[in-house]
Amino acid sequence: MTTTEGITEAIRTHILAEYLPGTPREELETSYDLLDNGVVTSLDLLALISWVEQRFQVPIDEVEISPDHFRSVDAMSEFVKRTTGK
Amino acid sequence: MLQANDQQRELREAIRAIGPALGAEHIARDRTGTFSEGGWKRLAETGLFGLPFGEEFGGLGQDLLTTMYVLEALGESCRDGGLNFSASTHIVSAGVALHRYGRAELKARYLPGICSGTTIGAHAITEPEGGSDIMRMRTTAVADGDAFVLNGTKAFVSNGPLADLIVVYARTGKPENPAGLTAFLVERDTPGLTTGRPIEKMGLRTSPLCELFLDGVRVPRSQVIGSVGAGFLVLDHVMKWEILCSFVINLGEMRHRLERCVEYARTRTQFGAPIGSYQSTANRIVEMKIDVETSRKWLYDTAEKLSSNQNVATDIAIAKLVTSEANVRSALSAIQIFGGYGYTAEYGLEKEMRNAVAGTIYSGTTEIQKQRISTLMGLNRAATPKRA
Repeated sequence: MTTTEGITEAIRTHILAEYLPGTPREELETSYDLLDNGVVTSLDLLALISWVEQRFQVPIDEVEISPDHFRSVDAMSEFVKRTTGK
Repeated sequence: MLQANDQQRELREAIRAIGPALGAEHIARDRTGTFSEGGWKRLAETGLFGLPFGEEFGGLGQDLLTTMYVLEALGESCRDGGLNFSASTHIVSAGVALHRYGRAELKARYLPGICSGTTIGAHAITEPEGGSDIMRMRTTAVADGDAFVLNGTKAFVSNGPLADLIVVYARTGKPENPAGLTAFLVERDTPGLTTGRPIEKMGLRTSPLCELFLDGVRVPRSQVIGSVGAGFLVLDHVMKWEILCSFVINLGEMRHRLERCVEYARTRTQFGAPIGSYQSTANRIVEMKIDVETSRKWLYDTAEKLSSNQNVATDIAIAKLVTSEANVRSALSAIQIFGGYGYTAEYGLEKEMRNAVAGTIYSGTTEIQKQRISTLMGLNRAATPKRA
């Protein structure tokens, strides 16, 4: 699954399953701020980075990485596309 | 588990050889709370402070497992637990943070001094209002042109009274937001930064500790470690190293204590037989042995997983909890086995017990480690469902 839509949907599916169980898919907008709204906590963030790294084979640059890359489904999708060139 | 090669064994033996000299007069220094400057210089000469850092910075370019393997020998051979703790704090607080997250120019400027031990490192995380609730820290950093202005108070800064370079964690965003913290590399003589007097404490008395006051401290943006908002990620990485490096030293201390107890139990005779022949004493020593082996497995297995980029969030909490609690049990058992002698300052065992208690508090208390593990098991999340 390497298309833009595919990446976004894979991330949205993961967020719903892990951090928003029971939430209907259509209720999670891809621009929704997961950090500001407390959906993804500091501990969750570590697991989420690890998941993105392994799921999409993303090379993580420690100097440049920012939680902002994981702020929303859109932000993660953009981060994956930019770092993997997909 | 590490299968040591010749170079690794050589590094370990170099530390083991000087350990007894480093620990000389440790009981007297503990009594007065005196840091061993001579011991620090001797440690620096071995290259220990640069173990995990690149050769281009004056380091030895070794990996995490090798670093731990050598630090274990420090704990085993040097009885000055405070000096051991200061060494570990120095390596991980500023060195590890910089080495992994620092930009090239920051590394080039500061890592050589850290590797040589001439620049002493510390980090400032805990605050008077709280240590465990890190995401609500009150110290703030506000952007102002090409700099940030830091204000706040930090508590329990290990190496603080000695430090030339301090990694200060401050809030640049909303409380509780994982993107709300930033790590700043602050030089000791920066205007507005002052340290309190060394704080007297129960154990690790030869490793000085103090408060840190930040009053309008202006730190150039170029001194940010990682990116703005990535402070929690820097801190998480540093804490993993801190736990593995400082508690592998404790493992070495536990091994030494165990050997000492075995020797004593074989030679100390009561009622016509060595005390080790009595099951109550033998069982106590067996439990010490099990604690050593369990701690060793958790520490090195976790380090192997971390080195292969696996998620060790749960493992690190278990490794810390298991080793720190085992160290307290081991120290209390040693006192009990040595009886009246163990209770005296002269034998150094009561000091080791006081030192061991610190390990159940710093780097996240036992209670916080259990809280983290339960959160990672999804127990807390089930109680408070979230909504988008």
